[in-house]
Amino acid sequence: MSDKHLSSQFDADLNSLSSRLLEMGGLVESQISTAMRAFTQMDLDTCNIVIENEKLVNDLEIQIDLACTELIARRQPTARDLRLVMAVSKAITNLERAGDEAERVAKRTKRLIESGKTYNINVAEIRLSGQMAITLLRRSLDAFARLDTLAAADVVAEDRQIDEEFRGFVRKLMTYMSEDPHIISAGLDMLTIAKAIERIGDHAKNIAEFVIYIAKGSDVRHIPHEDLVREATKP
Amino acid sequence: MNNISNIDQSLFAKRKRANKIGLTLSMGAMLLGMVFLFWILGVLLFKGLSAIDLNLFIHNTPAPGSEGGGLANAIVGSLMIVASCTLISTPIGVLAGLYLSEYGDRSKVAAVTRFVTDIMLSAPSIVIGLFVYALVVAQVRHFSGWAGTIALALIAIPVVVRTTENMLRLVPGSLREAAYALGTPKWKVAYKVTLRAAKSGVMTGILLALARVSGETAPLLFTALNNQFFSTNMNAPMANLPVVIFQFAMSPYDNWVDLAWGGALLITFTVLGLNILARVVFREKVQG
Amino acid sequence: MSNMKTMFDLNRIDSHGGTVDNTNQQSGQAPINALEVRNLNFYYGSFQGLKDINLDIEQGKVTAFIGPSGCGKSTLLRTLNRMYDLYPGQRAEGTINFYGQNILEPGQDLNLLRSRIGMVFQKPTPFPMSIYENIAFGARLYEKLSRSEMDERVEWALNKAALWNEAKDKLNQSGLSLSGGQQQRLCIARAVAVKPSVILLDEPTSALDPISTGKIEELINELKTEYTIAIVTHNMQQAARVSDYTAYMYLGVLVEYGKTDEIFIKPQRKETEDYITGRFG
Repeated sequence: MSDKHLSSQFDADLNSLSSRLLEMGGLVESQISTAMRAFTQMDLDTCNIVIENEKLVNDLEIQIDLACTELIARRQPTARDLRLVMAVSKAITNLERAGDEAERVAKRTKRLIESGKTYNINVAEIRLSGQMAITLLRRSLDAFARLDTLAAADVVAEDRQIDEEFRGFVRKLMTYMSEDPHIISAGLDMLTIAKAIERIGDHAKNIAEFVIYIAKGSDVRHIPHEDLVREATKP
Repeated sequence: MNNISNIDQSLFAKRKRANKIGLTLSMGAMLLGMVFLFWILGVLLFKGLSAIDLNLFIHNTPAPGSEGGGLANAIVGSLMIVASCTLISTPIGVLAGLYLSEYGDRSKVAAVTRFVTDIMLSAPSIVIGLFVYALVVAQVRHFSGWAGTIALALIAIPVVVRTTENMLRLVPGSLREAAYALGTPKWKVAYKVTLRAAKSGVMTGILLALARVSGETAPLLFTALNNQFFSTNMNAPMANLPVVIFQFAMSPYDNWVDLAWGGALLITFTVLGLNILARVVFREKVQG
Repeated sequence: MSNMKTMFDLNRIDSHGGTVDNTNQQSGQAPINALEVRNLNFYYGSFQGLKDINLDIEQGKVTAFIGPSGCGKSTLLRTLNRMYDLYPGQRAEGTINFYGQNILEPGQDLNLLRSRIGMVFQKPTPFPMSIYENIAFGARLYEKLSRSEMDERVEWALNKAALWNEAKDKLNQSGLSLSGGQQQRLCIARAVAVKPSVILLDEPTSALDPISTGKIEELINELKTEYTIAIVTHNMQQAARVSDYTAYMYLGVLVEYGKTDEIFIKPQRKETEDYITGRFG
């Protein structure tokens, strides 16, 4: 028995669904990269690029969702095909929201630039967690492409680090803001940016959880990590 | 049609020709058969119609030399013999056919039965007549209507057996399975479902057997013989149409010859009627 | 222990109830199996059609058998009511327990068995009788019913088959005067009229149009509250729609058996998944 359906059109449709997801993922990845660059360099034009391209991300979500619906209507997929379609439909929501977060970073950065003020907040954590988020998203999409559940389990584990970084930054920010009330406005913008990055990490984690669902059939959302790893490593 | 480029015209023309020749030959053969059929019917009508009147049915066969007369005793005699033949051969034939189709399908007994039936189907009727003569008539030392009945039954039964078995075999196995699936015992499946499904086919077979024996002469010659007078006593020689025709047709008396033609007409159209009836019965089943 | 009918409870049959009581199946109670197949091997002459089949058919549930042509699903179904006994050269070895009684034992009353385990076939086969007689035929086999009781039974059976409204004004017309879908429902009414415990359906809608098919699937859904149903189907979506349990068979072997939801979302065996997703080498 091969991995090909009797219907080659069905094969083509499923493959198309997967590749479009990866395409959307690539777009969102670059959005986040660009937004982080805009923040690091405090460059207004770069901010605007991200904000304009957000529309493309939204369009892709709608198109791919339609493709999922059509596939279900025409093929009544079962078993792993069904899980794939369900997972893709949900994963694009995660990607779209990650794209929203990237736009949020760009918008807040823009506000920081336009306020004209200077400030002395060390934003190393933001830059670091930004890098981590991009990497995590790339790795989750990689895991999806190869349906590699071990890689997916690693992604889920490492999302925690981003959360740690975020909490660290919040503590630092609170200290700064209590010492110097003038920077509260800028500080809040940065808080939003940091939060947005933390959320991107969460979305990458969700996508990784879907990978395990497709490959193993187990819904690993909201379960303890040891159980998740066990499901991921089942033969 | 001439625009289609890949049709080989010469091949096409040859095919058309062959088709025409075939059709012509078939039509010719059919017409030939029809000609003779209608010729016979025509002659019968021509020669026999004049004899068909009320007298035919009222008066008995006339004595040699006397005038007039009819065929009343022969008609009644034939009816009685054929009727009692049917009463005997129908149950025996149908049950035997039922056995062959539903029960004994592969047994030795069934194979032998079928073989014997086939032989009897094509046995010369005079042989059968002679057989019954030796077995019955010679034993009791007189001819009788019953002996005639037995002889005709021996001819009719194989026909009924064969057609019943064939008609039963035509009933799809799925119908039987459906009956079995309800918990129906075998005999009930055979009798109440399969036989019932084949009902009109079986009846057709019976009618055809009837039609066949109605015209048999040789067996009756040795068994029922004939009777000049009106009688309903089956234990004694009985008048019947075929033997009367045999006797009258070549006689020197004119009225006898006329009566013979009348009798022949009567038999022929009765048989024709039975055949048509058989067809009608069968068609109704197929449509209903 | 329960009100379910076994092969010998015929005295307690009435024209209304007396069928399987599925309220035993409250949570906490072990499921009761109407049929338990153990080590079943089946032979067509020297060809082995079924290889060491082991499975349970749970009371009050619909169990579907799927698989490619020649996988043995119809063969298996036909062992459950010993239909193969009609054909010499076909034999079964092993055990099939019907409420504890092994129906493969020699000396079984096959006719009685078949009145307890009914079957409906792929091709609708109404008997050459009136609609009323079609249904009365089976009911008369093992019960003595007065005319009014029989009338009730016929009406009840036709209602169960969702055919009463269409047939009530033509009970005396031949069963063959109905449409294909109606004829099949008549066959179902006929099977139900005998009040079996189990009803076997061998591709019951293969020969029917989609609407008739839908009606019969709805029928199966209603019947399963009172009967145990086993259905063979080559239409996987139908198995997914109507059954509680699904068994996948291939070349005479039972490959996988489980709850329908699990089989269709997360089958255990790759062979099962390949079949139901339409992947064949």
